[in-house]
Amino acid sequence: MILDTVQNLLNGLRRSLAQPSRTPRMAVVIGRLLAIAFLLCFGTGIYSHFLQDPLPWMVFTTRPVFLYQLTQGIHITAGILCFPLLFAKLYIVFPELFQTPSVKSFPHLLERASIALFVASSIVQIVIGLLNTYQWYALFPFPFRQTHYALSFVIIGSLAIHIAVKLDVIAKHWRKRDSAALAEPVEAPQREGASASTGSAGESRRNPLTSSPVKNAVDRVEGVTGRVFAWIDKTPPAEPRTSRRGFLTVVGVASAAVVALTAGQSFRVLDGSNVFGPRKQGVGPNALPVNRTAKAAKVGAKAMAADWALTVTNGTTSKSYSRSELQAMPQFVVELPIACVEGWSQTATWKGVRVGDLVDSVGASGGISVRATSLEENSSYAVMRMGPEYVRDNLTLVALELNGEPLDLDHGFPARMIAPGRPGVLQTKWLSTLEVLS
Amino acid sequence: MTSITVSPAIRRWRIALVVVGLALLALGGVVLLNDVNPKRYLGIAAWFLGALIIHDGIISFGVFGVNIAMRKAGRRVPLPVLLILQGAAVVGALMALLVVPEIMKKSIGTGNATLLPLDYAANLGWFYVVLAAVTAVVIAVYLAAARARARRASRAASSPAA
Repeated sequence: MILDTVQNLLNGLRRSLAQPSRTPRMAVVIGRLLAIAFLLCFGTGIYSHFLQDPLPWMVFTTRPVFLYQLTQGIHITAGILCFPLLFAKLYIVFPELFQTPSVKSFPHLLERASIALFVASSIVQIVIGLLNTYQWYALFPFPFRQTHYALSFVIIGSLAIHIAVKLDVIAKHWRKRDSAALAEPVEAPQREGASASTGSAGESRRNPLTSSPVKNAVDRVEGVTGRVFAWIDKTPPAEPRTSRRGFLTVVGVASAAVVALTAGQSFRVLDGSNVFGPRKQGVGPNALPVNRTAKAAKVGAKAMAADWALTVTNGTTSKSYSRSELQAMPQFVVELPIACVEGWSQTATWKGVRVGDLVDSVGASGGISVRATSLEENSSYAVMRMGPEYVRDNLTLVALELNGEPLDLDHGFPARMIAPGRPGVLQTKWLSTLEVLS
Repeated sequence: MTSITVSPAIRRWRIALVVVGLALLALGGVVLLNDVNPKRYLGIAAWFLGALIIHDGIISFGVFGVNIAMRKAGRRVPLPVLLILQGAAVVGALMALLVVPEIMKKSIGTGNATLLPLDYAANLGWFYVVLAAVTAVVIAVYLAAARARARRASRAASSPAA
Protein backbone atom coordinates (compact mmCIF):
# COMPACT_ATOMS: atom_id res chain seq x y z
CA MET A 1 0.00 0.00 0.00
CA ILE A 2 2.69 2.47 1.06
CA LEU A 3 4.92 1.17 -1.72
CA ASP A 4 2.11 1.71 -4.22
CA THR A 5 1.65 5.27 -3.01
CA VAL A 6 5.37 6.01 -3.17
CA GLN A 7 5.60 4.45 -6.62
CA ASN A 8 2.66 6.50 -7.85
CA LEU A 9 4.16 9.60 -6.33
CA LEU A 10 7.45 8.97 -8.13
CA ASN A 11 5.60 8.22 -11.37
CA GLY A 12 3.64 11.42 -10.98
CA LEU A 13 6.81 13.40 -10.36
CA ARG A 14 8.51 11.95 -13.41
CA ARG A 15 5.55 12.72 -15.59
CA SER A 16 5.11 16.22 -14.24
CA LEU A 17 8.79 16.89 -14.81
CA ALA A 18 8.48 15.80 -18.44
CA GLN A 19 9.56 18.51 -20.85
CA PRO A 20 10.19 18.42 -24.58
CA SER A 21 13.81 19.31 -23.83
CA ARG A 22 14.19 16.31 -21.54
CA THR A 23 14.86 13.69 -24.21
CA PRO A 24 17.60 11.08 -24.68
CA ARG A 25 18.76 12.95 -27.81
CA MET A 26 19.16 16.18 -25.84
CA ALA A 27 21.00 14.28 -23.10
CA VAL A 28 23.41 12.99 -25.76
CA VAL A 29 23.88 16.42 -27.37
CA ILE A 30 24.65 18.20 -24.08
CA GLY A 31 26.42 15.14 -22.65
CA ARG A 32 28.90 15.14 -25.54
CA LEU A 33 29.80 18.77 -24.94
CA LEU A 34 30.11 18.21 -21.19
CA ALA A 35 32.29 15.15 -21.73
CA ILE A 36 34.58 17.19 -24.01
CA ALA A 37 34.80 19.93 -21.36
CA PHE A 38 35.56 17.35 -18.65
CA LEU A 39 38.24 15.69 -20.76
CA LEU A 40 39.82 19.06 -21.60
CA CYS A 41 39.91 19.90 -17.89
CA PHE A 42 41.33 16.48 -17.07
CA GLY A 43 44.03 16.51 -19.76
CA THR A 44 45.17 20.05 -19.03
CA GLY A 45 44.95 19.42 -15.28
CA ILE A 46 47.15 16.32 -15.51
CA TYR A 47 49.66 18.27 -17.62
CA SER A 48 49.75 21.01 -14.98
CA HIS A 49 50.13 18.43 -12.21
CA PHE A 50 53.11 16.73 -13.83
CA LEU A 51 54.77 20.03 -14.64
CA GLN A 52 54.73 20.68 -10.90
CA ASP A 53 55.43 17.12 -9.74
CA PRO A 54 57.19 15.42 -12.65
CA LEU A 55 58.06 11.75 -12.66
CA PRO A 56 61.85 11.23 -12.88
CA TRP A 57 61.85 10.39 -16.59
CA MET A 58 59.66 13.28 -17.68
CA VAL A 59 60.97 15.96 -20.06
CA PHE A 60 58.77 18.86 -21.13
CA THR A 61 58.68 20.97 -24.21
CA THR A 62 59.54 24.64 -23.80
CA ARG A 63 57.91 25.68 -27.09
CA PRO A 64 55.60 27.25 -27.83
CA VAL A 65 56.35 29.56 -24.92
CA PHE A 66 52.63 30.13 -24.40
CA LEU A 67 51.89 26.40 -24.08
CA TYR A 68 51.12 26.43 -20.35
CA GLN A 69 49.32 29.73 -20.68
CA LEU A 70 47.13 28.04 -23.25
CA THR A 71 46.58 24.74 -21.45
CA GLN A 72 45.82 26.28 -18.08
CA GLY A 73 43.65 28.96 -19.68
CA ILE A 74 41.70 26.15 -21.33
CA HIS A 75 41.57 24.30 -18.00
CA ILE A 76 39.96 27.20 -16.18
CA THR A 77 37.74 28.35 -19.05
CA ALA A 78 36.47 24.82 -19.74
CA GLY A 79 35.89 24.46 -16.00
CA ILE A 80 33.73 27.59 -15.99
CA LEU A 81 31.96 26.32 -19.10
CA CYS A 82 31.09 23.16 -17.16
CA PHE A 83 28.67 25.19 -15.02
CA PRO A 84 26.05 25.81 -17.74
CA LEU A 85 26.72 22.44 -19.39
CA LEU A 86 26.53 20.38 -16.20
CA PHE A 87 23.39 22.11 -14.99
CA ALA A 88 21.83 21.65 -18.44
CA LYS A 89 22.67 17.94 -18.42
CA LEU A 90 21.33 17.49 -14.91
CA TYR A 91 18.18 19.40 -15.90
CA ILE A 92 17.60 17.02 -18.80
CA VAL A 93 17.96 13.84 -16.76
CA PHE A 94 16.37 15.11 -13.54
CA PRO A 95 13.18 12.98 -13.94
CA GLU A 96 15.39 9.87 -13.86
CA LEU A 97 15.95 10.61 -10.18
CA PHE A 98 12.38 9.45 -9.59
CA GLN A 99 12.47 6.27 -11.65
CA THR A 100 10.49 3.35 -10.31
CA PRO A 101 11.21 0.90 -8.95
CA SER A 102 14.01 2.87 -7.38
CA VAL A 103 16.28 -0.16 -7.37
CA LYS A 104 15.57 -3.05 -9.74
CA SER A 105 18.62 -5.18 -9.11
CA PHE A 106 22.11 -5.13 -7.67
CA PRO A 107 23.69 -3.90 -10.95
CA HIS A 108 21.01 -1.21 -11.08
CA LEU A 109 21.91 -0.17 -7.52
CA LEU A 110 25.57 0.07 -8.55
CA GLU A 111 24.60 2.09 -11.62
CA ARG A 112 22.60 4.56 -9.55
CA ALA A 113 25.35 4.77 -6.93
CA SER A 114 27.92 5.47 -9.65
CA ILE A 115 25.72 8.24 -11.03
CA ALA A 116 25.30 9.75 -7.55
CA LEU A 117 29.10 9.69 -7.18
CA PHE A 118 29.52 11.17 -10.67
CA VAL A 119 27.07 14.00 -10.06
CA ALA A 120 28.34 14.83 -6.57
CA SER A 121 32.02 14.75 -7.53
CA SER A 122 31.37 16.82 -10.67
CA ILE A 123 29.52 19.54 -8.77
CA VAL A 124 32.10 19.61 -5.98
CA GLN A 125 34.97 19.67 -8.48
CA ILE A 126 33.79 22.66 -10.48
CA VAL A 127 32.67 24.58 -7.38
CA ILE A 128 35.99 24.16 -5.53
CA GLY A 129 37.81 24.93 -8.77
CA LEU A 130 35.91 28.20 -9.07
CA LEU A 131 36.41 29.09 -5.40
CA ASN A 132 40.12 28.34 -5.77
CA THR A 133 40.38 31.07 -8.40
CA TYR A 134 38.96 33.41 -5.74
CA GLN A 135 41.45 31.91 -3.22
CA TRP A 136 38.55 31.27 -0.84
CA TYR A 137 40.20 28.32 0.87
CA ALA A 138 38.53 28.88 4.22
CA LEU A 139 35.41 27.23 2.79
CA PHE A 140 37.15 23.89 2.22
CA PRO A 141 37.48 21.44 5.09
CA PHE A 142 40.07 19.67 2.92
CA PRO A 143 43.23 20.59 0.97
CA PHE A 144 42.29 21.98 -2.44
CA ARG A 145 45.02 20.75 -4.73
CA GLN A 146 45.17 17.15 -3.52
CA THR A 147 41.38 16.78 -3.43
CA HIS A 148 40.96 18.38 -6.86
CA TYR A 149 43.56 15.96 -8.25
CA ALA A 150 41.98 12.85 -6.68
CA LEU A 151 38.48 13.87 -7.77
CA SER A 152 39.64 14.29 -11.37
CA PHE A 153 40.22 10.52 -11.58
CA VAL A 154 36.92 9.81 -9.81
CA ILE A 155 35.07 11.99 -12.33
CA ILE A 156 36.68 10.58 -15.46
CA GLY A 157 36.29 7.04 -14.07
CA SER A 158 32.61 7.67 -13.34
CA LEU A 159 32.24 9.22 -16.79
CA ALA A 160 33.64 6.09 -18.43
CA ILE A 161 31.25 3.89 -16.44
CA HIS A 162 28.33 6.20 -17.19
CA ILE A 163 29.10 6.09 -20.92
CA ALA A 164 29.36 2.29 -20.70
CA VAL A 165 25.96 2.01 -19.03
CA LYS A 166 24.29 4.37 -21.49
CA LEU A 167 26.22 3.24 -24.56
CA ASP A 168 23.25 1.80 -26.44
CA VAL A 169 21.19 4.95 -25.80
CA ILE A 170 24.14 7.13 -26.84
CA ALA A 171 24.62 5.09 -30.04
CA LYS A 172 20.93 5.32 -30.92
CA HIS A 173 20.75 9.07 -30.40
CA TRP A 174 24.23 10.07 -31.55
CA ARG A 175 22.99 11.36 -34.88
CA LYS A 176 19.93 13.55 -35.18
CA ARG A 177 18.55 11.56 -38.10
CA ASP A 178 18.75 8.22 -36.27
CA SER A 179 17.38 9.77 -33.11
CA ALA A 180 14.42 11.30 -34.94
CA ALA A 181 13.63 7.95 -36.59
CA LEU A 182 13.58 6.32 -33.18
CA ALA A 183 11.46 8.97 -31.53
CA GLU A 184 8.17 7.72 -30.30
CA PRO A 185 5.17 9.62 -31.65
CA VAL A 186 4.84 11.82 -28.66
CA GLU A 187 3.34 15.25 -28.70
CA ALA A 188 3.34 17.69 -25.86
CA PRO A 189 2.43 16.08 -22.55
CA GLN A 190 -1.08 14.71 -22.61
CA ARG A 191 -2.58 17.32 -20.37
CA GLU A 192 -6.12 16.71 -21.53
CA GLY A 193 -6.02 13.16 -20.27
CA ALA A 194 -4.82 14.32 -16.93
CA SER A 195 -8.09 15.88 -15.94
CA ALA A 196 -9.76 12.50 -16.16
CA SER A 197 -6.86 10.71 -14.72
CA THR A 198 -7.26 10.44 -11.01
CA GLY A 199 -6.61 6.79 -11.59
CA SER A 200 -6.03 4.15 -9.01
CA ALA A 201 -2.81 2.41 -8.22
CA GLY A 202 -4.10 -0.52 -10.19
CA GLU A 203 -4.27 1.58 -13.34
CA SER A 204 -0.68 2.62 -12.85
CA ARG A 205 0.38 -0.98 -12.94
CA ARG A 206 -1.42 -1.41 -16.25
CA ASN A 207 0.48 1.60 -17.63
CA PRO A 208 4.15 1.07 -16.82
CA LEU A 209 6.52 3.94 -17.48
CA THR A 210 8.29 3.96 -20.82
CA SER A 211 11.81 5.16 -21.51
CA SER A 212 10.37 8.53 -22.45
CA PRO A 213 9.11 10.57 -19.54
CA VAL A 214 6.91 12.51 -21.96
CA LYS A 215 5.07 9.37 -23.00
CA ASN A 216 4.65 7.98 -19.55
CA ALA A 217 1.21 6.90 -18.60
CA VAL A 218 -0.92 9.20 -16.54
CA ASP A 219 -0.75 7.95 -13.00
CA ARG A 220 -2.11 9.86 -10.15
CA VAL A 221 -2.57 9.50 -6.45
CA GLU A 222 -5.55 10.69 -4.52
CA GLY A 223 -5.54 13.40 -1.88
CA VAL A 224 -3.34 16.46 -1.64
CA THR A 225 -0.64 15.09 -3.93
CA GLY A 226 -3.29 14.17 -6.49
CA ARG A 227 -4.60 17.72 -6.46
CA VAL A 228 -1.07 19.14 -6.76
CA PHE A 229 -0.41 16.96 -9.80
CA ALA A 230 -3.78 17.86 -11.30
CA TRP A 231 -2.91 21.56 -10.81
CA ILE A 232 0.45 21.03 -12.51
CA ASP A 233 -1.24 19.10 -15.32
CA LYS A 234 -3.44 22.03 -16.15
CA THR A 235 -0.34 24.09 -16.91
CA PRO A 236 -0.26 25.18 -20.54
CA PRO A 237 1.94 22.66 -22.36
CA ALA A 238 5.19 23.60 -24.00
CA GLU A 239 5.43 23.20 -27.77
CA PRO A 240 8.17 20.60 -28.29
CA ARG A 241 10.20 22.11 -31.13
CA THR A 242 10.14 25.66 -29.80
CA SER A 243 10.90 24.37 -26.34
CA ARG A 244 13.89 22.30 -27.49
CA ARG A 245 15.31 25.13 -29.59
CA GLY A 246 14.78 27.52 -26.71
CA PHE A 247 16.60 25.20 -24.34
CA LEU A 248 19.62 24.85 -26.63
CA THR A 249 19.66 28.60 -27.24
CA VAL A 250 19.70 29.29 -23.50
CA VAL A 251 22.53 26.81 -22.95
CA GLY A 252 24.45 28.45 -25.81
CA VAL A 253 23.87 32.00 -24.60
CA ALA A 254 24.74 31.12 -20.99
CA SER A 255 27.93 29.34 -22.10
CA ALA A 256 28.96 32.22 -24.34
CA ALA A 257 28.27 34.72 -21.56
CA VAL A 258 30.30 32.97 -18.85
CA VAL A 259 33.24 32.50 -21.21
CA ALA A 260 33.15 35.97 -22.76
CA LEU A 261 32.92 37.73 -19.40
CA THR A 262 35.65 35.80 -17.57
CA ALA A 263 38.13 34.31 -20.05
CA GLY A 264 39.92 37.62 -20.55
CA GLN A 265 41.92 36.74 -17.42
CA SER A 266 43.58 34.02 -19.52
CA PHE A 267 43.19 35.15 -23.12
CA ARG A 268 44.16 38.71 -23.98
CA VAL A 269 41.76 38.88 -26.92
CA LEU A 270 38.87 38.78 -24.41
CA ASP A 271 40.40 41.26 -21.95
CA GLY A 272 37.99 43.99 -23.00
CA SER A 273 34.97 41.93 -21.95
CA ASN A 274 36.55 40.61 -18.76
CA VAL A 275 34.20 42.03 -16.15
CA PHE A 276 33.87 38.96 -13.91
CA GLY A 277 37.31 37.34 -14.08
CA PRO A 278 39.11 37.26 -10.71
CA ARG A 279 42.17 38.82 -12.36
CA LYS A 280 42.55 41.67 -14.80
CA GLN A 281 45.45 41.97 -17.20
CA GLY A 282 47.68 44.96 -16.47
CA VAL A 283 46.41 45.37 -12.88
CA GLY A 284 49.20 45.10 -10.33
CA PRO A 285 52.75 46.28 -9.64
CA ASN A 286 54.86 46.32 -12.83
CA ALA A 287 51.44 46.20 -14.58
CA LEU A 288 51.10 42.51 -13.74
CA PRO A 289 48.88 40.66 -11.24
CA VAL A 290 50.46 39.02 -8.19
CA ASN A 291 49.66 35.63 -6.73
CA ARG A 292 51.65 35.58 -3.48
CA THR A 293 52.82 38.84 -2.02
CA ALA A 294 56.12 39.44 -0.22
CA LYS A 295 54.12 40.13 2.93
CA ALA A 296 52.31 36.80 2.70
CA ALA A 297 55.64 35.05 2.05
CA LYS A 298 57.28 37.00 4.91
CA VAL A 299 60.37 37.82 2.85
CA GLY A 300 60.32 41.61 2.88
CA ALA A 301 63.30 42.24 5.19
CA LYS A 302 65.53 39.55 3.69
CA ALA A 303 64.70 40.54 0.13
CA MET A 304 65.44 44.22 0.77
CA ALA A 305 68.64 43.54 2.75
CA ALA A 306 71.70 45.35 1.36
CA ASP A 307 73.82 42.20 1.60
CA TRP A 308 71.48 40.06 -0.46
CA ALA A 309 73.31 37.83 -2.90
CA LEU A 310 72.40 34.98 -5.20
CA THR A 311 74.59 31.99 -4.47
CA VAL A 312 75.27 29.63 -7.37
CA THR A 313 76.91 26.30 -6.53
CA ASN A 314 78.17 23.32 -8.47
CA GLY A 315 79.60 20.73 -6.13
CA THR A 316 82.40 22.43 -4.26
CA THR A 317 82.45 25.46 -6.59
CA SER A 318 80.39 28.36 -5.43
CA LYS A 319 79.93 32.00 -6.43
CA SER A 320 77.83 34.75 -4.96
CA TYR A 321 76.36 37.55 -7.04
CA SER A 322 75.00 40.77 -5.68
CA ARG A 323 72.22 42.44 -7.66
CA SER A 324 74.66 44.92 -9.20
CA GLU A 325 77.00 42.08 -10.15
CA LEU A 326 74.12 40.31 -11.82
CA GLN A 327 73.27 43.53 -13.67
CA ALA A 328 76.89 43.72 -14.85
CA MET A 329 76.58 40.33 -16.59
CA PRO A 330 75.22 40.08 -20.16
CA GLN A 331 71.54 41.05 -20.00
CA PHE A 332 68.83 39.54 -22.15
CA VAL A 333 65.28 40.71 -22.78
CA VAL A 334 62.57 38.11 -23.35
CA GLU A 335 58.81 38.21 -23.88
CA LEU A 336 57.32 35.45 -21.79
CA PRO A 337 53.94 34.87 -20.20
CA ILE A 338 53.52 34.35 -16.51
CA ALA A 339 50.75 31.78 -16.28
CA CYS A 340 49.27 30.94 -12.90
CA VAL A 341 47.82 27.56 -11.96
CA GLU A 342 44.64 29.49 -11.15
CA GLY A 343 44.28 30.18 -14.86
CA TRP A 344 45.12 33.85 -15.21
CA SER A 345 48.08 34.74 -17.34
CA GLN A 346 49.77 37.68 -18.95
CA THR A 347 52.67 38.13 -21.29
CA ALA A 348 55.36 40.46 -19.96
CA THR A 349 58.82 41.76 -20.83
CA TRP A 350 61.57 40.37 -18.62
CA LYS A 351 65.19 41.42 -18.46
CA GLY A 352 67.98 39.59 -16.68
CA VAL A 353 70.77 37.01 -16.81
CA ARG A 354 70.52 33.70 -18.59
CA VAL A 355 70.40 30.81 -16.14
CA GLY A 356 72.71 28.95 -18.52
CA ASP A 357 75.37 31.66 -18.12
CA LEU A 358 75.10 31.51 -14.32
CA VAL A 359 75.53 27.75 -14.10
CA ASP A 360 78.37 27.89 -16.63
CA SER A 361 80.12 30.39 -14.36
CA VAL A 362 80.50 27.67 -11.74
CA GLY A 363 81.79 25.12 -14.22
CA ALA A 364 78.56 23.29 -15.13
CA SER A 365 78.38 21.82 -18.60
CA GLY A 366 75.91 19.91 -20.71
CA GLY A 367 72.38 19.02 -19.73
CA ILE A 368 72.09 19.64 -16.03
CA SER A 369 69.23 20.22 -13.63
CA VAL A 370 69.08 23.03 -11.13
CA ARG A 371 67.55 23.39 -7.70
CA ALA A 372 66.41 26.95 -6.98
CA THR A 373 65.65 28.06 -3.46
CA SER A 374 63.64 31.08 -2.45
CA LEU A 375 64.06 33.34 0.56
CA GLU A 376 60.51 32.25 1.28
CA GLU A 377 60.06 29.75 4.08
CA ASN A 378 57.24 27.38 4.99
CA SER A 379 56.03 27.08 1.41
CA SER A 380 55.85 23.96 -0.72
CA TYR A 381 57.16 26.07 -3.59
CA ALA A 382 60.16 27.52 -1.72
CA VAL A 383 62.38 24.93 -3.41
CA MET A 384 61.99 24.35 -7.13
CA ARG A 385 63.68 21.86 -9.40
CA MET A 386 64.27 22.75 -13.03
CA GLY A 387 65.11 20.19 -15.69
CA PRO A 388 67.83 20.65 -18.35
CA GLU A 389 65.27 21.53 -21.04
CA TYR A 390 64.62 24.76 -19.12
CA VAL A 391 68.15 25.37 -17.77
CA ARG A 392 69.65 25.27 -21.25
CA ASP A 393 66.86 27.29 -22.88
CA ASN A 394 68.08 30.76 -23.92
CA LEU A 395 64.78 32.26 -22.77
CA THR A 396 65.21 31.09 -19.17
CA LEU A 397 66.39 34.01 -17.08
CA VAL A 398 67.10 35.09 -13.58
CA ALA A 399 65.00 38.21 -14.08
CA LEU A 400 65.91 41.54 -12.54
CA GLU A 401 63.49 43.79 -14.42
CA LEU A 402 59.87 43.45 -15.43
CA ASN A 403 58.09 45.56 -18.03
CA GLY A 404 60.95 48.08 -18.13
CA GLU A 405 61.20 48.62 -14.38
CA PRO A 406 63.11 46.96 -11.55
CA LEU A 407 61.21 43.96 -10.22
CA ASP A 408 58.63 44.96 -7.66
CA LEU A 409 59.06 43.33 -4.27
CA ASP A 410 55.78 41.43 -4.81
CA HIS A 411 57.11 40.12 -8.13
CA GLY A 412 60.25 38.68 -6.56
CA PHE A 413 62.77 41.50 -6.04
CA PRO A 414 65.74 41.31 -6.03
CA ALA A 415 65.74 38.40 -8.52
CA ARG A 416 63.33 35.75 -9.71
CA MET A 417 63.14 32.91 -12.18
CA ILE A 418 61.29 33.12 -15.48
CA ALA A 419 61.21 30.19 -17.91
CA PRO A 420 59.06 29.36 -20.92
CA GLY A 421 56.02 27.11 -20.54
CA ARG A 422 56.05 26.61 -16.76
CA PRO A 423 53.36 27.27 -14.12
CA GLY A 424 53.72 30.53 -12.20
CA VAL A 425 54.35 28.70 -8.92
CA LEU A 426 57.58 27.33 -10.44
CA GLN A 427 58.78 30.79 -11.53
CA THR A 428 60.46 31.09 -8.14
CA LYS A 429 60.50 34.57 -6.61
CA TRP A 430 62.96 36.12 -4.13
CA LEU A 431 65.77 33.81 -5.26
CA SER A 432 68.40 32.85 -2.73
CA THR A 433 70.41 29.99 -4.24
CA LEU A 434 70.85 28.08 -7.48
CA GLU A 435 72.35 24.63 -7.08
CA VAL A 436 73.56 22.53 -9.99
CA LEU A 437 72.41 18.93 -9.64
CA SER A 438 74.45 16.12 -11.01
CA MET B 1 22.60 -2.11 -17.61
CA THR B 2 20.14 -0.18 -19.72
CA SER B 3 19.58 -2.85 -22.31
CA ILE B 4 20.17 -6.56 -22.35
CA THR B 5 20.15 -7.15 -26.13
CA VAL B 6 23.08 -5.16 -27.41
CA SER B 7 25.45 -5.69 -30.29
CA PRO B 8 28.78 -7.43 -29.65
CA ALA B 9 30.60 -4.20 -30.48
CA ILE B 10 28.70 -2.28 -27.83
CA ARG B 11 29.27 -5.10 -25.38
CA ARG B 12 33.02 -4.97 -25.99
CA TRP B 13 33.14 -1.18 -25.64
CA ARG B 14 31.08 -1.46 -22.49
CA ILE B 15 33.49 -3.89 -20.89
CA ALA B 16 36.48 -1.76 -21.89
CA LEU B 17 34.90 1.42 -20.55
CA VAL B 18 33.89 -0.22 -17.27
CA VAL B 19 37.41 -1.59 -16.80
CA VAL B 20 38.95 1.84 -17.53
CA GLY B 21 36.35 3.50 -15.30
CA LEU B 22 36.98 1.17 -12.37
CA ALA B 23 40.75 1.55 -12.77
CA LEU B 24 40.46 5.35 -12.68
CA LEU B 25 38.13 5.20 -9.67
CA ALA B 26 40.66 3.00 -7.91
CA LEU B 27 43.44 5.42 -8.86
CA GLY B 28 41.37 8.31 -7.49
CA GLY B 29 40.94 6.34 -4.26
CA VAL B 30 44.67 5.64 -4.02
CA VAL B 31 45.51 9.32 -4.61
CA LEU B 32 43.00 10.28 -1.93
CA LEU B 33 44.50 7.78 0.51
CA ASN B 34 48.06 8.90 -0.22
CA ASP B 35 47.64 12.65 -0.52
CA VAL B 36 44.76 13.61 1.75
CA ASN B 37 44.76 13.21 5.51
CA PRO B 38 41.95 10.80 6.54
CA LYS B 39 40.76 13.47 8.98
CA ARG B 40 39.60 15.42 5.91
CA TYR B 41 37.45 12.63 4.42
CA LEU B 42 34.42 13.63 6.46
CA GLY B 43 34.66 17.16 5.06
CA ILE B 44 34.80 15.82 1.48
CA ALA B 45 31.83 13.52 2.16
CA ALA B 46 29.89 16.46 3.62
CA TRP B 47 30.55 18.48 0.45
CA PHE B 48 29.39 15.55 -1.71
CA LEU B 49 26.19 15.18 0.28
CA GLY B 50 25.65 18.93 0.32
CA ALA B 51 26.10 19.09 -3.47
CA LEU B 52 23.43 16.44 -4.03
CA ILE B 53 21.00 18.00 -1.56
CA ILE B 54 21.46 21.53 -2.86
CA HIS B 55 21.19 20.50 -6.51
CA ASP B 56 18.64 17.69 -6.51
CA GLY B 57 16.64 18.80 -3.51
CA ILE B 58 16.60 22.57 -3.83
CA ILE B 59 17.79 24.01 -7.16
CA SER B 60 16.06 21.45 -9.40
CA PHE B 61 12.70 21.75 -7.66
CA GLY B 62 13.09 25.52 -7.57
CA VAL B 63 13.62 25.57 -11.35
CA PHE B 64 10.64 23.22 -11.79
CA GLY B 65 8.46 25.45 -9.61
CA VAL B 66 9.49 28.63 -11.45
CA ASN B 67 8.85 26.95 -14.79
CA ILE B 68 5.34 25.83 -13.79
CA ALA B 69 4.55 29.16 -12.10
CA MET B 70 5.63 31.14 -15.17
CA ARG B 71 3.55 28.99 -17.50
CA LYS B 72 0.58 29.26 -15.15
CA ALA B 73 0.94 32.99 -14.78
CA GLY B 74 1.48 33.48 -18.47
CA ARG B 75 -1.53 31.70 -19.93
CA ARG B 76 -2.16 34.57 -22.32
CA VAL B 77 1.51 35.14 -23.08
CA PRO B 78 2.86 33.35 -26.16
CA LEU B 79 5.07 30.42 -25.24
CA PRO B 80 8.16 31.75 -27.07
CA VAL B 81 7.94 34.96 -25.02
CA LEU B 82 7.79 32.88 -21.84
CA LEU B 83 10.77 30.86 -23.03
CA ILE B 84 12.75 34.04 -23.73
CA LEU B 85 11.93 35.28 -20.22
CA GLN B 86 12.83 31.91 -18.69
CA GLY B 87 16.06 31.84 -20.66
CA ALA B 88 17.00 35.31 -19.42
CA ALA B 89 16.21 34.22 -15.85
CA VAL B 90 18.42 31.15 -16.25
CA VAL B 91 21.34 33.16 -17.64
CA GLY B 92 20.93 35.73 -14.85
CA ALA B 93 20.79 33.06 -12.14
CA LEU B 94 23.83 31.25 -13.52
CA MET B 95 25.86 34.44 -13.59
CA ALA B 96 24.80 35.17 -10.01
CA LEU B 97 25.98 31.70 -9.03
CA LEU B 98 29.45 32.49 -10.37
CA VAL B 99 29.75 36.13 -9.36
CA VAL B 100 28.04 36.37 -5.94
CA PRO B 101 30.76 34.27 -4.24
CA GLU B 102 33.29 36.59 -5.89
CA ILE B 103 31.51 39.64 -4.42
CA MET B 104 31.38 37.97 -1.00
CA LYS B 105 35.07 37.03 -1.05
CA LYS B 106 36.03 40.54 -2.13
CA SER B 107 34.05 42.00 0.76
CA ILE B 108 35.77 39.63 3.22
CA GLY B 109 39.15 40.70 1.86
CA THR B 110 41.79 39.11 -0.32
CA GLY B 111 45.06 40.31 1.13
CA ASN B 112 46.23 41.06 -2.40
CA ALA B 113 44.94 44.03 -4.35
CA THR B 114 45.41 42.26 -7.70
CA LEU B 115 43.09 39.40 -6.72
CA LEU B 116 39.44 40.29 -7.39
CA PRO B 117 40.37 43.83 -8.43
CA LEU B 118 37.10 44.75 -10.15
CA ASP B 119 33.82 46.09 -8.79
CA TYR B 120 31.94 42.84 -9.33
CA ALA B 121 28.68 43.98 -7.68
CA ALA B 122 28.43 46.97 -10.01
CA ASN B 123 29.42 44.85 -12.99
CA LEU B 124 26.73 42.30 -12.12
CA GLY B 125 24.21 45.13 -11.87
CA TRP B 126 25.24 46.38 -15.33
CA PHE B 127 25.08 42.83 -16.64
CA TYR B 128 21.46 42.59 -15.48
CA VAL B 129 20.64 45.93 -17.10
CA VAL B 130 22.08 44.72 -20.41
CA LEU B 131 20.39 41.32 -20.02
CA ALA B 132 17.02 43.01 -19.41
CA ALA B 133 17.50 45.29 -22.41
CA VAL B 134 18.54 42.44 -24.71
CA THR B 135 15.61 40.34 -23.48
CA ALA B 136 13.19 43.19 -24.17
CA VAL B 137 14.61 43.68 -27.67
CA VAL B 138 14.41 39.95 -28.44
CA ILE B 139 10.79 39.82 -27.24
CA ALA B 140 9.91 42.93 -29.28
CA VAL B 141 11.52 41.44 -32.40
CA TYR B 142 9.71 38.15 -31.85
CA LEU B 143 6.32 39.85 -31.36
CA ALA B 144 6.83 42.04 -34.46
CA ALA B 145 7.78 38.98 -36.51
CA ALA B 146 4.79 37.04 -35.16
CA ARG B 147 2.41 39.90 -36.04
CA ALA B 148 3.87 40.12 -39.54
CA ARG B 149 3.44 36.37 -39.94
CA ALA B 150 -0.17 36.58 -38.74
CA ARG B 151 -0.92 39.42 -41.18
CA ARG B 152 0.56 37.49 -44.10
CA ALA B 153 -1.41 34.41 -43.10
CA SER B 154 -4.67 36.34 -42.83
CA ARG B 155 -4.07 38.04 -46.22
CA ALA B 156 -3.34 34.67 -47.80
CA ALA B 157 -6.52 33.22 -46.27
CA SER B 158 -8.72 36.12 -47.43
CA SER B 159 -7.42 36.29 -51.01
CA PRO B 160 -9.38 34.08 -53.49
CA ALA B 161 -7.64 31.00 -54.74
CA ALA B 162 -6.17 31.31 -58.22
